[in-house]
Amino acid sequence: MSAKIEAQRVSKRFGSLVALDALSLEIAAGEVFGIIGPNGAGKTTFLRILTGYWLASDGDVRVDGLSVTRQRFQVQARLGYACEQPKLYADHRVDAFLRLMGELRGLSGARLRAAVAVASERLGLEEVMHRRIGVLSKGFRQRVALAQAILHEPALLVVDEPTVGLDPAQQIELRRIIAGFRGQHTVILCTHQLHEAELLCDRVALLDRGRLAAIATADEIRAGGSLEALFLAKVGTHSGFAP
Amino acid sequence: MMLRMRALCRKELRQLFASPIAYVVLTVYVALTGIYFFQHLVSYNQLLFVYQSEGMTGGGFDQGTVPTRINVLNEVFVPSADDFGLFLLVVLPLVTMRVFAEERANGTDELLLTSGLRPWEVAFAKHAVTYAFVALLLLGSAIYPAVVVLRASLGMEHLAALLLGQLFYGCAIASLGLACSSFTSSQIVAAVLGYAIPFVLLDFAWLSNTVSEGVAAVLREAALLSHYGSFARGVIELRNVVYFEGVALLGWLLSVASLELSRAR
Repeated sequence: MSAKIEAQRVSKRFGSLVALDALSLEIAAGEVFGIIGPNGAGKTTFLRILTGYWLASDGDVRVDGLSVTRQRFQVQARLGYACEQPKLYADHRVDAFLRLMGELRGLSGARLRAAVAVASERLGLEEVMHRRIGVLSKGFRQRVALAQAILHEPALLVVDEPTVGLDPAQQIELRRIIAGFRGQHTVILCTHQLHEAELLCDRVALLDRGRLAAIATADEIRAGGSLEALFLAKVGTHSGFAP
Repeated sequence: MMLRMRALCRKELRQLFASPIAYVVLTVYVALTGIYFFQHLVSYNQLLFVYQSEGMTGGGFDQGTVPTRINVLNEVFVPSADDFGLFLLVVLPLVTMRVFAEERANGTDELLLTSGLRPWEVAFAKHAVTYAFVALLLLGSAIYPAVVVLRASLGMEHLAALLLGQLFYGCAIASLGLACSSFTSSQIVAAVLGYAIPFVLLDFAWLSNTVSEGVAAVLREAALLSHYGSFARGVIELRNVVYFEGVALLGWLLSVASLELSRAR
């Protein structure tokens, strides 16, 4: 089960600041799609519009033909979202939190228990299920965020900066988990880690100052050398990097 | 929908009682109401003693030596209800300030509002659990008037009216506090607004000399206190019930509006 996404001239303005400027994108069903860009490029803004958390100033995003602007609850039912710096209830135990999120997604009884069991197994959470979220390491908190996002088996999985602040071992483990989502969901992965996008994604969009600066398939990236080369070629000068 | 609502309410309850504020507020409120109720009871007994002493030759107050206005209703119930109302005004913003503001500050509103929940559901659960906490506060302090009602054969309708009045009044104040909390991520700002708005709405008597009679009448009708007093006398007036329910509804609508507006930031 996976979803097709179409962003149509999506803009977001905060007063005079243009965070997204007529961004248009198409993401195929089942694709693992990366979004990269320097800080302030509009990556998280786009994800917040896509998930219905923010309203676009102009334009619209469609998920399987459903408009985020007009049908946001139907869209939200099809997506799971693990936001940047996992925002979780620190006073909840992991199992209670996952049950809560499952219930909020309309799961109950045996279906809920099965969904929690599957998610905890996929994310390797069994050993921390009875611990309070507040005492977990950053890596485990990130896994809990991903687990709540896949409980209801969404067609679209949106993951924002999953490995930021994690140690190398945790980063590798989390990338392995995200790679496992391929074939089960359409995945949108927003990241600062260029090699992560290169490793995991079928296609990568490079945003810069709210605009789509480039979009490339994995093959095109390899043909051009690396994603780093593409990044530096497109935004290197004003993001502080010298090519 | 019921499943989601139940889950949301459970989450709110867990968060409410995870913080020490709920226990402190509960303890302080029950203690303060007990102290002040006892104080009014003592004053009433002293008053009776004085009257009975002066008219000792004629017998006790049953024989007419104590004026009819000196009774447990006027001397204990009504002033206690005023005190209880003031204490609710003092403690409730401490509970409501956290409810929306903390969610916004921690970013967990993003988790809720992207999981298919309607903003009205989120606001409803938060308001419902806070009202339940108000009811718990009142139950904790109901023992004092209950004992007097039983001992003084005052009639259970007085107790019921007092508790109902406090519940309506408390929910209205809580609702305004929650609305304030929903517009900010700062608990301090939420608390300051949660105090300021109900205090301004409490009584417009200070304004009545500076405005026309018509405006003063409207302000009197808009004041919280003018709708609260009759409950302590055992009178439940529909207009007062409608007023408090209206304020509570307004607070909830403002909370929903705030969640919707935050999308367009």
